[in-house]
Amino acid sequence: MTPPSGPAIPADPAAFAAPKETPPPGTAPKPFRLPPTDDFVLPNGMKVTLVSYGSVPKVAVRAYVNAGGVYESASQVWISKLNALLIKEGTAMLSSEQVASRAAGMGGQLDVGAGAEFAAAGGVVLSEFGARFVALLAEVLQRPALPASELARLKADLRRALVVEKSRPGALARERFLKTLFPDHPYGRSYPRESALEGYTVEEVQRFFDDNFTASRTHLYIAGKLDPDLKKSITAAFGGWKRGNERADVPAAPVKSRSLQVIDRPGAEQSTLYLGLPVADPTSPDYVALGVMDALLGGSFASRITSNIREQKGYTYSPFSQIGTRRRLAYWLQGADVTTSVTGPALHEIFHEIDCLRKEAPSAREVKGIQDYLAGLFILRNTVSPDAVIGQLHFVDSQGLDRSFLSSYVHKIMAVTPHEIQRAAEDYIVPSKMTIVVVGDKAKISEQLKPYETAE
Amino acid sequence: MLKSNPKGNRVPYFMDLCSCVSAQQRLPDIQALETVEAGGQYGFSVPVAYYKLPNGLRVALSPDSTAPTVVTAVYYRIGFRVEPKDRTGFAHLFEHMMFQGSRNLGKMEFIKLVQENGGVLNGSTRFDFTNYFELLPSNKLETALWAEADRMKGLAVTDENLKNQQDVVCNEVKGSVLNQPYGGFPWLWMPQYANENWYNAHNFYGELKDVEAAKLEEVQAFFKTYYAPNNAALVVVGDFDADEAKAMIAKYFGPIPSAELPPLPDLSEPPQQQEKRASRKDRLANRPALAFAYHMPPRNSPEYYAMGLLDQMLVQGDDSLLCQELVKKRGFAGGVSGGINADLGDMFDYSGPMLWTASLIYDTHVKPDQILAAADTVIEGLQSKPVDRELLDRSRTKLRSDLYDSMTQSGGVGRANLLACFALFNDNPGRINTLEGEFLKVTPELIEKTAREFLRKTNRTVLEIEPGAGAPVEEPQ
Repeated sequence: MTPPSGPAIPADPAAFAAPKETPPPGTAPKPFRLPPTDDFVLPNGMKVTLVSYGSVPKVAVRAYVNAGGVYESASQVWISKLNALLIKEGTAMLSSEQVASRAAGMGGQLDVGAGAEFAAAGGVVLSEFGARFVALLAEVLQRPALPASELARLKADLRRALVVEKSRPGALARERFLKTLFPDHPYGRSYPRESALEGYTVEEVQRFFDDNFTASRTHLYIAGKLDPDLKKSITAAFGGWKRGNERADVPAAPVKSRSLQVIDRPGAEQSTLYLGLPVADPTSPDYVALGVMDALLGGSFASRITSNIREQKGYTYSPFSQIGTRRRLAYWLQGADVTTSVTGPALHEIFHEIDCLRKEAPSAREVKGIQDYLAGLFILRNTVSPDAVIGQLHFVDSQGLDRSFLSSYVHKIMAVTPHEIQRAAEDYIVPSKMTIVVVGDKAKISEQLKPYETAE
Repeated sequence: MLKSNPKGNRVPYFMDLCSCVSAQQRLPDIQALETVEAGGQYGFSVPVAYYKLPNGLRVALSPDSTAPTVVTAVYYRIGFRVEPKDRTGFAHLFEHMMFQGSRNLGKMEFIKLVQENGGVLNGSTRFDFTNYFELLPSNKLETALWAEADRMKGLAVTDENLKNQQDVVCNEVKGSVLNQPYGGFPWLWMPQYANENWYNAHNFYGELKDVEAAKLEEVQAFFKTYYAPNNAALVVVGDFDADEAKAMIAKYFGPIPSAELPPLPDLSEPPQQQEKRASRKDRLANRPALAFAYHMPPRNSPEYYAMGLLDQMLVQGDDSLLCQELVKKRGFAGGVSGGINADLGDMFDYSGPMLWTASLIYDTHVKPDQILAAADTVIEGLQSKPVDRELLDRSRTKLRSDLYDSMTQSGGVGRANLLACFALFNDNPGRINTLEGEFLKVTPELIEKTAREFLRKTNRTVLEIEPGAGAPVEEPQ
């Protein structure tokens, strides 16, 4: 392809000698208020939050049940997932196919899944079917058939998912990282052994279901364009659900000590890095400053670590840092897939950026940039979709925080000082207490990793 | 970023960041397009104003005051289909270069500008376009327009920037293809087997040696050829005043000169007469996988809309016929996924030959022909009689629901995607409000005819993934 000659466009840097223009700053921000919620509790203890939001005739319905992996015993890993799959296999009144086709006829799908703490059940449907979808969800949650006839197939599906998952480098790194942080705790048990999975019975699943799927352990969130009669439909559909036992705490004491762990993946083109440690949880006064610190250090495109190892060095494509949370727990994590030959240099640069921030407060300008980013992101997180709205509320509620955490968030973000950011890094992002996991070609990276075998 | 999931409903941190027709027109004039009421009381349509600048830039505006945010999106009608033949992956590498510096914004400054104004940004490269977009608080619209205009005027990039992004892109390819089990399956591999025409059948992520060989002058030449206003669409969606936006757009984009565009090469695919079968060894995978794909009917034909509904019936959602047959009844897999332009877009955001694909990962003791035979019974059911009314209605409902999601996805990014594609490919973004009507026209007879003509075995390519890895090692617990 020969490019045709077009009009002259200044294309080389030399043509750009004139002084640079300053970007137009835009106008004054429009006020942003969180969409108001309508909260109530049914007599059986089930919590309900309704958010009337948006103009598109769709509604997101999500029930969060305290029935995730954290309620599994050591010999029951993934029984919460098996339970979630079985719940979808029909009820006393409806076959599995009928559940699927009814939800589809409402423009959605009834999903049930289990995470570390919660099982989540629900879907997004056309608003005109909101009340009917609530009724379908109620039927499935309260009266699932949990049919033994489907057990072998679903266990085979989980087993396949397990072995496929364990062939992914990111999954291996994450498993080892969590296992190191949370020894002898469900949070550290990402995967079952195949043999254990094989042995699970319908009776065990039924027991897990009976213990955990109850009204008092459930919070139903509905957001979107809402039917005015929805409240009545919810009460009718869920009012008869048994109250059950309250959720019990499963306390964790995450490990904060230095270790380097290498998982060999011969021939790997890249090394997958995961490093981090426990930090202050969402209820701590330090949590907000930690969030600003994280966005500045590695948690945004323009962050220091991303600028360094991606935009300056080209070691990686998609590095990230984040603050992961569990109930009243949090950990900081930096991850990156880096080219094998620069595994050591990539770690060097990551620790270099951490050290710099711990030693010196960032400039007021850099901090203002990150604060403005987080303030804008807050609007996006609370508006991009009904599910995003639900996600924010669920986070606050699941941490036992007051909803004012959200309404005061931007104000708190803007009040964080450069010194507080440095202190958050100094106090919490401590290299000598970090777990470092590397999944890669051991023969090629062992030498590069030598300096990281011991702290300092 | 090459890949994206347009149906994804995640909060957009866009941290997987790309970092990630000639149109000489006269007066800019906003024509408010007629909106179509569909779906009765719960129907949904979006406002669309469409016009062109004298330099040929297509502009679509869709105000929506749901939230004080605004999407600014610029789509260039150059995708990975049409890239230099000795430079596979070039369109995507080039996309990365658009973040490396322009007249008034040096390296990292574009990214910082958006971030410091409270927004997120991304770009991606697809079959027939490359897009760049920002989602910002609505008071920052002018900032975004200025910045996008700045990089439409020209790139200020160096050899060092290029070397850096060659490394970044090679890491992207390793991270999503070479170092992952099932990397590139089926989305990157299937078009290479199913298509015959190089433009549709090459490795569009790029051979690493081609990515590494690219030169700075090639970057500038590619820019000069394709990144002109008359080869682009600008879309604004969100909380803004249309007249104000129009004035800002004229101010910042108006002075950019148009370019003479090369004609599109012949993208057509010869009609397929024989079933094709291929297999690849994946040394990182520990279970086999199978994909089967059929060439789509021509875009916007009656059969095309029928395929949109067949897609819903066959593979979208757990009520779909293939999910019921292959997953629930036969237990071959935990799920079956697929679609039109699967993994890289949807049925609306391309312009050229396309595939409908389905894929699944299954167990070693199952033979691929067992899976194909089971899939064939489902497809034969659709070919031998008019589809039953209930199934057809359900597929329409699912499609309408998906469409509403696209119109609102990620705070307006999904709507901008549809408007930009309809501006570039049809010169008519108002199509967004007429789609529901097109699907309503599809009859049971047309479904049957389309299934017979397009879901025939001789129009199919089957791709097997042979697992090359052993069982995973179990850690002591």
